[in-house]
Amino acid sequence: MRLPQNSRAVAAIALAAVLTACNSSTSTTSTSAGSSGEPAAAGQTIKIGVDLPVSGADASIGIPTQNGAVLAVEEADKNGFAGGKFKLDTSLLDDAVQGKHDPAAGAQNVKTFIADSSVLAMVGPFNSNVAKAEIPLTNDAGLVQIAPSTTNDGLTIGDDAKKLRTAHPDVNTFFRVCTRDSRQGLALAQIAWQKLGYKKAFIIDDNETYGKGLADVFDASFKQLGGTVLGHEHTTANQQDFKALLTKAASLHPDVVFYGGTTSTGGGLVRKQMADAGLGKTPYLGGDGISDDEFEKVAGDSANGSYMTVAAPDASKLPSAKAFIAAYTARFKSNVGPYSANAYTAAKIEIAAIEKAINDAGGKMPTRADVLKYVAATKDFDSPIGKVGFDANGDTTSPILTLLEVTGGKKVTIEVITLKS
Amino acid sequence: MTLFLQQVINGLSLGGIYALIALGYTMVYGIIELINFAHGDVYTLGTFFSLAILALLGVTGIVSGPMLIVVVVVTILGAMLLCGLTGVVIERLAYRRLRNAPKLAPLITAVGMSFILENLMQYWKGPSPVAFPQVIPNPAFAIGAVTIEAKQMMVILLAIVLMIVLQTFVRHSRLGKAMRATAQDKDAAQLMGIDINTTIALTFLIGSALAGAAGFVSGVYYGSTWFLNGFAAGLKAFTAAVLGGIGNIAGAMLGGFLIGLIEALTTQFISDQWANVVVFSVLVLVLIFRPTGLLGESLPNKV
Repeated sequence: MRLPQNSRAVAAIALAAVLTACNSSTSTTSTSAGSSGEPAAAGQTIKIGVDLPVSGADASIGIPTQNGAVLAVEEADKNGFAGGKFKLDTSLLDDAVQGKHDPAAGAQNVKTFIADSSVLAMVGPFNSNVAKAEIPLTNDAGLVQIAPSTTNDGLTIGDDAKKLRTAHPDVNTFFRVCTRDSRQGLALAQIAWQKLGYKKAFIIDDNETYGKGLADVFDASFKQLGGTVLGHEHTTANQQDFKALLTKAASLHPDVVFYGGTTSTGGGLVRKQMADAGLGKTPYLGGDGISDDEFEKVAGDSANGSYMTVAAPDASKLPSAKAFIAAYTARFKSNVGPYSANAYTAAKIEIAAIEKAINDAGGKMPTRADVLKYVAATKDFDSPIGKVGFDANGDTTSPILTLLEVTGGKKVTIEVITLKS
Repeated sequence: MTLFLQQVINGLSLGGIYALIALGYTMVYGIIELINFAHGDVYTLGTFFSLAILALLGVTGIVSGPMLIVVVVVTILGAMLLCGLTGVVIERLAYRRLRNAPKLAPLITAVGMSFILENLMQYWKGPSPVAFPQVIPNPAFAIGAVTIEAKQMMVILLAIVLMIVLQTFVRHSRLGKAMRATAQDKDAAQLMGIDINTTIALTFLIGSALAGAAGFVSGVYYGSTWFLNGFAAGLKAFTAAVLGGIGNIAGAMLGGFLIGLIEALTTQFISDQWANVVVFSVLVLVLIFRPTGLLGESLPNKV
C-alpha cells in the first residue's frame, strides 16, 4: 500500500500550500459585483484602487483608513457620479503579508491596478517603504496615487524622490494629503524642547524608510534647538527583546525616549519593556506610526505617558468634518481612525478629477493622463480636513499635525498644530 | 562595570529562552538528523497554550502566596504536556512516513509544518500581538549596583535545571539509553529489541515539551507574544544549537547563553542593529575552526 502513504504526504504539502496562500495579500474584494461577467459593460465602470495594509498588526489603523476611501466612492456613486454615465467602484487590496505591511506585496497590488484598465486612480499606500516600491510603477504607467499617511520626505522631495521617477523623470504621479516627516520631525522636536521641556533625548528607530527618516529629522532638529541626543539606535526586523537596548538607554538618564517607527515594527513593545529597564517613569514620544489603537493594546498599562503626533488634523475637532464623521459612523458602525478623513479626502480629490476628465473626453472613458493632470492641479479643494491643494512635488499645501497623549489607557488630543507650508 | 554586569544578566535571560528552544532542535537533529523547522512555532504555541490555561484558571494578573506555585506549576506542566503531544502528533503525521525518504523530503515537510502551525495560530489568536498576564510578582533584587528581576532569575534557573534533568535522563535512564542507541544506528537498535518508533516519538515529546516551557517563560518575561514570534526566536535557537554543537545537549545550552550574551553586549558596546551581525560572525568563526560546534564531537555520539 504505497499509494495512500504518498498521497498523505502530498496532501500535507498541499494543505501547507493552501494555508500559505490564505495568508497572501492579493485577494481582490470588490465592494459591488456589478461589473463581473459582462465585457460590454466593463467600460461603464470606473474603479479607484485602494492599497492599504488591512490585516495583521497594521489592521487597526489600515481598515478605518480603507473605510474612508470606500465611503467617498460609495457616496459619489449614489449621488450620480458623472451624470450617471459611469458606475464608480473600488478595488480593495491588502499589502500586509504575515501580519505586516510589505513593499513587495504593495508593488504586486499596484501591478494589478495598472493591468485593470478600469482603474483610473488609486488611494494608498499607508507606509513609506511600500510607497518607495510603488512609485516607480505608477510613474511608469501614469497612474495617479494619493497617499493618506506616508510621510517620508524622500517620496516627494530631493534626490530620493527623483530616483523613484525612473520611467518619466519629469512626471509626478505621487501625491499625499498628510504632512511630510521633515515637518513632522521638526514639530516633534519643538514639542519635546519647547512644549514639554525635555533637554536630553534617547532615540530609537526601526531602520525602515519611515521610522529612520522621522528619527533622523528629530535627531537633527532637537540638536539644533539646543537639546542633547544621548544616543540614536536602530532596531532590527522582528526584534522582540529590547531590554539590553533600554538598559543602555536607562544608564544615560534621558528625559524622553523618542521612537521612530510603527507599532507593528516594535513601537509598542519598546514602550512596554521600558518599565522593566527602569524607564517606566520616562516619557515616550513618537510620530504617527504609533498613533494606532494597537499601541495601547501592546504596551498595556505602560502606554500612559506617551506622546505622539498624527500627520493629519484631528477630524473630531474640525467643523468641516462633522458631516463626514456622521456618515462614516452610520455606514461602518465604528469610530473614525486617525487617517480615515485623509483617505476620504484623497478619494474625493480623485473622483473630482475623474469627473472633470470625463467632461473633457465628451462623456467617454477618460485616460489616466487626464486624471493625473486634474489631480496635480488641485487647489483649495474643500474637504473634511480643510482646504487641500498640492504643490509641484505632490505635497499638501496645508500641513497640519495633531498632538496626542495617552492618559488612562486612551489617547487624548492635546493640540492641533498648523505648520508653515 | 555595573552596566556590563547588568547586560550580562539581560543576556543570560534572553539566552535562557534560546537555550530551552535549542534543546528541542538539538535532540531531534541528534536522533533523526532532521532540522525540525516547526520547532520554533511549537514554542510560540507553548505561549498560546499557557494563555489558554491561565484563562481557564481565571488568572488575569499577579498571583501571590501558595496559589502562585499552583498556578505556575499547572500552567507550565499543562503547556509542556500540550506542546509535547503536538510534537508527537507532528512526528506521527508528517515525519514518520518520510523517515527513509531522501533527506530533502522531511526538510520541506518541516517547513510546511511550520507554515501550518503559524497559520493555525494566526487563525486562533489573530495576527496582532497578544498580551500575556503578569502572573508572577516581579521584585528586583539588588546585588551591589546590579539588579536582577525575579522573572530573569526564573528564566535562567529553569533553563539550567531542565538541561540537567534532561542530561541525566539521556545519560542514565533506560529510555535515554534507547535514545542514544537509536541515534547511533537505527537498524542495529531495532535488532537489539528497541522500539525505535516509540523512542523517536519520546524524543519529540521531550523536545516539544521543553519548547512549551520556553513558551510559558517567554510569555511571562515579555508580557506579550504573536503568532510569528517563533520564527525569529527559532532561527536564533537553531543557531545556538549549531554553535554549541548540534546533537549535544550541554552544547545547546552553552550556545543559547552565548548568543544571548553576545546580543546584549553588542547592543551595549556597539549598537543594537549590529547584534545579529556579531552573532552570526561568531557562528561563522566557530564553524571554521570547529566545524562540529563548540562541544560537538565528530564521533557518532549524538543526543
